[in-house]
Amino acid sequence: MSGPEGAITLASCPADIVELAAFRARASDLARLAAAQDFALAAGGGTAARAGRLSLSVRPDRWLLLTTPAAPGESAALRREMCRGCGAVVDLSSALVAFLLAGTAVPEMLARACRLDLEGRAFPKGCAAATIMVQVPAILARLSAGMLLLTPATTARHLREWLVETSQPFGLALAPDATVSALCGESQT
Amino acid sequence: MTGPARIAQGLLTDPARPLAFRFDGSEMRGLAGDTLASALLANGRRLVGRSFKYHRPRGIVTAGCEEPCALVDLIGAAGREPNQLATTLALHEGLVAVSQNRWPSLELDVLAVNDLLGRFLPAGFYYKTFMAPGWAWERLYEPLIRRAAGLGKLAARVTEHAAPAEIVHDHADVLVVGAGSAGLAAAAVLGTAGLRVLLADQDVMPGGGTLLDPRWSGWREEICRRIAALPTVRRLARTTVLGAYGHGVFGTLEALAPQERARFGGLRERLRVVRARRVLLACGAGERLIAFPGNDVPGVMLAGAALGYLRRYGVAAGLKPVFFLNNDEAYETVFALAEARVLAAAVIDPRPSGRAAARAQEAGIEVIAGAVVCRVRGRRGVRGVRVMGANGSTRRLDADCLLMSGGHSPATSLACQLGARLEWHERIAAFTAEPPSPAGRAAGAARGVYGLAAAALDGETAARALAAELGRTAPLLAAGPGLPSDPDATPLVPFWEVRAPGKAFVDLQNDVTADDVRLACREGYEHVEHMKRFTTCAMATDQGRIGGLVAAAVLAHARGAPLAEVGQVKPRPFLEPVPFAALAGGEVRGHYKPKRRVPLHDWHERAGATFVNTGLWLRPLVYSRAAGWEPVLEEARAVRRAAGITDVSTLGKIDVQGPDAARFLDFVYANTFSTLAVGRARYGIMLREDGMLFDDGTTSRLGATHFLVTTTTANSAAVLEHLEFHLQAVCRELDVVLTDVGDQWAQFAVAGPRAREVIASVVEGLDLTNAAFPFMAAAEARIAGISGRLFRISFSGELAYELAVPARTAPVAWQAVLAAGSRYGIRPYGLDALNTLRIEKGHVTTAELNGNTTADDLGFQRMLKKSGDFIGRALGARPGLAATDRLQLVGVRPVDRARRLRNGMHLVAPESPRTSLGYVTSSTPSVELEGWVGLALLAGGRQRIGTRLLGTSPIHGERTELEVVSPHMLDAENTRVRS
Amino acid sequence: MLRIPCPWCGTRDEAEFRYHGDATRPRPTAADTLADFSRYTYGRDNPLGWHLEWWLHVGGCRRLLKVERHTLSHEIRWVGTPEASPAPEVQAP
Repeated sequence: MSGPEGAITLASCPADIVELAAFRARASDLARLAAAQDFALAAGGGTAARAGRLSLSVRPDRWLLLTTPAAPGESAALRREMCRGCGAVVDLSSALVAFLLAGTAVPEMLARACRLDLEGRAFPKGCAAATIMVQVPAILARLSAGMLLLTPATTARHLREWLVETSQPFGLALAPDATVSALCGESQT
Repeated sequence: MTGPARIAQGLLTDPARPLAFRFDGSEMRGLAGDTLASALLANGRRLVGRSFKYHRPRGIVTAGCEEPCALVDLIGAAGREPNQLATTLALHEGLVAVSQNRWPSLELDVLAVNDLLGRFLPAGFYYKTFMAPGWAWERLYEPLIRRAAGLGKLAARVTEHAAPAEIVHDHADVLVVGAGSAGLAAAAVLGTAGLRVLLADQDVMPGGGTLLDPRWSGWREEICRRIAALPTVRRLARTTVLGAYGHGVFGTLEALAPQERARFGGLRERLRVVRARRVLLACGAGERLIAFPGNDVPGVMLAGAALGYLRRYGVAAGLKPVFFLNNDEAYETVFALAEARVLAAAVIDPRPSGRAAARAQEAGIEVIAGAVVCRVRGRRGVRGVRVMGANGSTRRLDADCLLMSGGHSPATSLACQLGARLEWHERIAAFTAEPPSPAGRAAGAARGVYGLAAAALDGETAARALAAELGRTAPLLAAGPGLPSDPDATPLVPFWEVRAPGKAFVDLQNDVTADDVRLACREGYEHVEHMKRFTTCAMATDQGRIGGLVAAAVLAHARGAPLAEVGQVKPRPFLEPVPFAALAGGEVRGHYKPKRRVPLHDWHERAGATFVNTGLWLRPLVYSRAAGWEPVLEEARAVRRAAGITDVSTLGKIDVQGPDAARFLDFVYANTFSTLAVGRARYGIMLREDGMLFDDGTTSRLGATHFLVTTTTANSAAVLEHLEFHLQAVCRELDVVLTDVGDQWAQFAVAGPRAREVIASVVEGLDLTNAAFPFMAAAEARIAGISGRLFRISFSGELAYELAVPARTAPVAWQAVLAAGSRYGIRPYGLDALNTLRIEKGHVTTAELNGNTTADDLGFQRMLKKSGDFIGRALGARPGLAATDRLQLVGVRPVDRARRLRNGMHLVAPESPRTSLGYVTSSTPSVELEGWVGLALLAGGRQRIGTRLLGTSPIHGERTELEVVSPHMLDAENTRVRS
Repeated sequence: MLRIPCPWCGTRDEAEFRYHGDATRPRPTAADTLADFSRYTYGRDNPLGWHLEWWLHVGGCRRLLKVERHTLSHEIRWVGTPEASPAPEVQAP
């Protein structure tokens, strides 16, 4: 996924996405149960990766868990099993679409829509945030692999078209799909 | 050569690259690096436009964005763009510009007669004259005034702007405004301290005032080198800060350099929204005019501008200049021109003496001290001046230009927008403004510290203070000792106006004279802001930069009040004209608003659907490209006779979980949900706190502590926000988690007498008999092998199911249903058929849930909980909301079945046809009943069922006799949905 | 333009938030009168000075914030969760 200096690569990231939302005062129980299943729950505004699974936290006491795609609903059922009673488990695998943007010009390109400060010192690796871009919700996370972008599925095409168009002047290359383990900083299998 | 007035090598111009351009049809030559103004001056062109009101000949007055007169129409590939400033417009090969506001030509302008009529056209003339009769404004006066006044003509071919502008969001620790000696020194200090700096400067090249003094070139080059090496400093050239918006937010407009333009596909402007922790205002000071008769004749120019033309472009404003000035700074132009062998005919200085005047005399230049210019000779160009001495004697001088300077005013606009108070300084006869802490600081000439060296040191000091505020220590810049020294200057003497016969302008762009200001004062508009509005002084695009303070001084004198007390007008954003394209940025055309597509969008497209925009959604309206109702009715008929399937994925869906989920729903819905059994759904209505209906939909209980709320398509975002607000603000004790799952689930309604058979063949392991899965049942189900959910709910009034599957799997489930239903004649149906079906059935949608209707109005009164609190309970019970003459939901049908209904048709009694009793909210041709059917909101509607009224639609010229019927026009007993 | 320091997300542009009105008046309970509900729903003070108000961070964490804002200068001097309250102002003698 290396392009010319400053160029941008754009890839889709097929992933199962499940949201865990802790019930009142159950966040630590939830984290313990998750840890028992080899999930590291990210701290607020951050990301955490373990065992090829990624978690993001952009809302207090809520986590998005990204895993390699399984049969529809299966990941959510597993997580539901995992944290029964401690919180709500909601399958968002179809609700959110994930893109991975890589290249040094990505923050400069995203500044054409994103109001957040994505400069390296202000938004270093391991940071995650929810915001609005081109009038649609977007969750951004800076990973070693690049900038992960989650956006609602029904407006994902709109956002993708914008990304493609806006990236052109910087040089854009479309990359093959990125796996969740690649997002976690592991080599692609 | 590129014109007779090109007398020297300019800093910015490249003699090796001549450029051809046209102005008003004349071929001319300029140099790369020229502005249109410098190239025109080089060609000896002085008359460049006609003024706004009096159509007086005008020339180039300044060398920058403060220019009031040299506005031109630019003719380019993008059409005709008016009001381009010749003084900042970069010259390019083949540029075509024309002058504005003249007819038939610049030299002979018919409306210049306004100038002769000037004594009949004073300020306020429009307000007083064009009063009556009322009709005449629109038909007579306004068209005439529009023709006579105004600036250029707009005829841009918008479609050719592929990407005219974009918006970029920026962040910085410190925004430094202006790259003169103060701004450069400050940026170097701040950047060395490791702070993120955005250095925004209007000019094509950094340096500000140092560009006009060759002694400073070494310092400038060195500091620019140092700044370029600082990784945290970004320098933005051609970038104007347009306004300060509080909380560290600034709007800036960047005009792209040609190479950048090409890279971004022809992009012209970039609106940068900067968020900065601090601002450093190093935006300098602007020279001001002196009001004297004829101070607008082409060839009258600010002295500093003439210095700019000489240093930057090697162009002389004239070869025989006369100066009229009251400050030593302006003498720099006298000396610089003299050095270039353009000797002043004379310098007229109202002060008795001064250091600079003495130097000029030493250089052999005549200085007429204690004198003023009382008249300018020449109409389309300066030919000379009349000078009046202190004793009243006058003298004639020949000249080809008059270079004036009334002193310098610090740029206070941004500081004022940040909430600064103006402070008067007699020393410079000007106001300064310091931004309130902690917004930032001003430095250099922007706070009245004049002289390049003094400003550089002041910039450094201010930067050091800001760095300390931001927790950084800044090393010494050590540029101090090496700075060229500032000339030793004698203070100016405030001098504003020469009172003599003739028009003395204080605002050249809006043609406001000193007499107009006095008139305003006489008429009672004594406050400087009132004077502004009465005279239009400082209301033009230049915001009165060069004459605003002069106008205030004239007003102060007329009021007999000190200028310090009178103040000056508040400058508002934008400080410069901004093209609308820049404000719109990329959100135009295809990107104007997002398009929301249902998961099956591509399938619908392939199936030949016509789409309709509803909110952001693209929804299939009908699976046909043919116009008319027949394709819609065919789809609806299939549902009534056999089976149909429709995509209802656009419904809002909210997952509600938690120990208190049921209690929360009881509070937000007007009906009860805590009594709902697991595996069942219930239709619910939500009210606003004022008792009006807010939204409706079915809510299913998936588990003891797990509900799924559906909302209308239109209100999905609003309902989620409403629930989130009340959960966090009002029901804080409740333990509930809300998640938007609208995009997770694709949802389809399968409806029609054969729906059960169709569903039975795609759903596994679920007993679909009425006993096991009755109307309003809900269950998890495997649908075509996919784990999804099945609901028995009906919007169409038929036996119907809604099935939900994860959106990714939507095509599989949808096609499985179609395949299973093909033997029953299943058809996909669109939004129009859905509407036909629900209108027949009397089901409401946002047309009826319009924010003004109550539960009672729509016939839901029995659903309201009798006990317990809920949103809208108290105010919904106000007696007025139960008044029997409120608009209530009814059905309507034309008596003559061949006639049609129209949405919005008013319902009137035949005996009083001008009194509306209500209106039709939804209508459709019916498939089950003969002719059209409609829903209407009708005053006392339920009482009128069985009566006849007229439906009128004056815009269609239609009057139709209607019968008022129950809204449940089809299967009122609900036998179909329960079959 | 306001920049609101969200306790969960950091300082964000006003465009990400939705204003939800006066945060000083609790919703009346079922026992309260129609007049109380009327005041709650329709009564709006228009204070000059500090004002405690609700802002929902719809474009970020979707949490409701209580914000103390000066209606003239727009300065924000306190932001907290719905349960919290700013420290009472020290009254000048």
